[in-house]
Amino acid sequence: MASVKDRNASAWLLPPVPGTNHAMRTDMAQFRDEEEVDVAIVGCGAGGSTLLQRLARAGWKAVALDAGPFWDPERDWVSDEAGSHHLYWTEPRIISGDDPVPLGSNNSGRGVGGSMVHYAGYTPRFHPSDFHTYSTDGVGADWPLEYGDLKSYYEDIEGELPVAGEHWPWGDPHSYPHSPHPVSGNGELFLRGALASGITAKVGPVAISNGRFGNRPHCIYRGFCLQGCKVNAKASPLITHIPDALHHGAEVRADSMVTRIEIDDTTGKATGVHYVRHGRARFQRARIVAVAGYSIETPRLLLNSACKRFPEGLCNDFDQVGRYLMVQGAPQTAGRFESEVRMWKAPPPEVSSEDFYETDPSKPYKRGFSIQTVSPLPITWAEHVAAQGHWGGKLREYMSDYVHWACLGALCEFLPQTDNRVTLASEKDRNSMPVAHFHYSQCDNDRQLMQAAQEAMEKILQAAGAQEVITIRRFAHLVGGARMAADEQHGVVDADCRSFAVPNLYITDGSVLPTQGSANPALTIMAVAARAANRLIAGGASKTT
Amino acid sequence: MTALPLDPKDGGGRFPGFDAQRQSPHWDRVTQGVVLARLGRPTDLRFFTVAEEAAARALFDQLLDQRHEPRVPVVNMVDARLAEEQTDGWHYEDMEPDPAAWRSTLAELDAEARERQKRPFVELSWEEQTLLLTDIQAAETWRGRQASRVWSLWTRYACTAFYSHPLAWDEIGFAGPAYPRGYKNLGLNAREPFEVADARPAQDPAAHTAKSRTGRQR
Repeated sequence: MASVKDRNASAWLLPPVPGTNHAMRTDMAQFRDEEEVDVAIVGCGAGGSTLLQRLARAGWKAVALDAGPFWDPERDWVSDEAGSHHLYWTEPRIISGDDPVPLGSNNSGRGVGGSMVHYAGYTPRFHPSDFHTYSTDGVGADWPLEYGDLKSYYEDIEGELPVAGEHWPWGDPHSYPHSPHPVSGNGELFLRGALASGITAKVGPVAISNGRFGNRPHCIYRGFCLQGCKVNAKASPLITHIPDALHHGAEVRADSMVTRIEIDDTTGKATGVHYVRHGRARFQRARIVAVAGYSIETPRLLLNSACKRFPEGLCNDFDQVGRYLMVQGAPQTAGRFESEVRMWKAPPPEVSSEDFYETDPSKPYKRGFSIQTVSPLPITWAEHVAAQGHWGGKLREYMSDYVHWACLGALCEFLPQTDNRVTLASEKDRNSMPVAHFHYSQCDNDRQLMQAAQEAMEKILQAAGAQEVITIRRFAHLVGGARMAADEQHGVVDADCRSFAVPNLYITDGSVLPTQGSANPALTIMAVAARAANRLIAGGASKTT
Repeated sequence: MTALPLDPKDGGGRFPGFDAQRQSPHWDRVTQGVVLARLGRPTDLRFFTVAEEAAARALFDQLLDQRHEPRVPVVNMVDARLAEEQTDGWHYEDMEPDPAAWRSTLAELDAEARERQKRPFVELSWEEQTLLLTDIQAAETWRGRQASRVWSLWTRYACTAFYSHPLAWDEIGFAGPAYPRGYKNLGLNAREPFEVADARPAQDPAAHTAKSRTGRQR
């Protein structure tokens, strides 16, 4: 394998101090709308940025349009919780169902870098079992590819982020390029409680460089990972893939909201994307279109691109678009200790356990959950306390006790269900585009997992010496909504992320995932996009010469 | 500015002499701008009508137990968010978007107070207000809405404003922004030179409640 720098020089293209290489942006390629680029990518998050970097390196004329800003971390991000609201996608949306899922915060990103700008930084791989849960357990779905098809891409991306952690004993056992970070009081208590209760816990895997990486500095353990890393220590595509993409001639067109994909009714192929930039409606011609807007916006864009050939929405001949959208059950359990924990110090992502990841035949439910440290800042912690019903003087009293609490979070593998889906509402946004309506309900298996995860976290915290435990039931992450499948009656794209319905239309984001495991999805989204890029390059699919 | 008034039984005075603002020279300039603005003159009200302002002030005082000056100016902070539409964007299918939901739920709060005591919410005694809110929190539905969604709307905005304020950080021992300085001393009972130890570590608010409790988001 070539060295990371030879494959992706992003970390060496950043300035040697925190900040941005401004010249790279001002000197970046600017394609004309009328020019047919090789690929127009919609969305510059985990999937879109990885695809952009790979295709630009292969010499493609590539432009990525993003609805949000091209962040300048030194100017745009703050070391403050309430001041970071602008990192989220807060355009209007409607939620419903038995268990409606609040959006617009932890589960949505905005701008170049996407949700990886504010994700905690956990980057676990999926387990081999994740790729055939239907065959093995009769739940979920089988992917049209197996773990082995992604393995080398996992290794590549882990090198490029890079990922730090102990040797990983779960799933397909593997090591990480960077050694594990030191842990804070929160991680210390998780390790202590796990040991005492016979559960294996390991430090990592986090996409935070441990030591200098290119021109990226060492982490300073300031704990504001979820507010965007001003240090450039935590990985996001903004610093791990975009610099290399620009260096190889790609364009990132920020502040550009794509509203519709144009289809030529005679050929059935995509011809480009309609978008709004600075108040003007424009159209970028492209030989290939790749959509990477994540699980709400990707289905929304496809459904809003209905045309004569696709009256029910693009790629929606079999009513698959927007369906099987998943969230992970993400209960957080906190424990009270006589010691001062000060859990906000150090990055929230520190220690994880995947002991409960796989189906346990002795349990009434299928599949499982993972457990990780989380460490809420004051506003999020107030939400945790208020969820117990406390307000007024009791709320203030609980909050004054903040230094004594440690907090764990679980990720439960909620199952894909056909009626958990995105549709278009009659309500319109400021671009006159119908807003997304996200309907979500849990199934029995989901509820049982949520309960089991809470009990496991309570056990760990109590084994570590917690006097009381309090839990908030919540959700994290989104995947699915335009899933990959073996055929067009069960999904929207094939294993290479190519849509069944339109030969030059690809989807390269989390919406293609048929199942989610109990892993944070970022690494897998990048690996799937990197694989799709490789297939595109190898196939020579319509590259301009 | 002096500390926020908080009774010791509610956790007041646990971090004697601790002052998050004193760390502000160590914050980066952009963060200084954002955080220190919260200590300046509160923004003029633009969103709430006069009647809504009165109800909202009383509601926030109750939710955050702010009985005396100095107060964190929560009503101004929430008003600014709503005026600028700094919401999370989503809304329940059966509820309005947040700005409209605020107007209608405050109107309902006054309507409920009038039905009970023939006076708007702000004119009720502190105890009467507390009782009314306790009933809403315990209800399944309240005036045609799911009570938990109304409660969540109110507490979410209240907590976000209050715990973004450096004076609130002082009473919980949190030093605020940490860039570019970072932390040196990680681990149990490890403190930075500027952090202050909890003077009453045995004051466990959860000590007399169930050993395990659960709530849900929103």
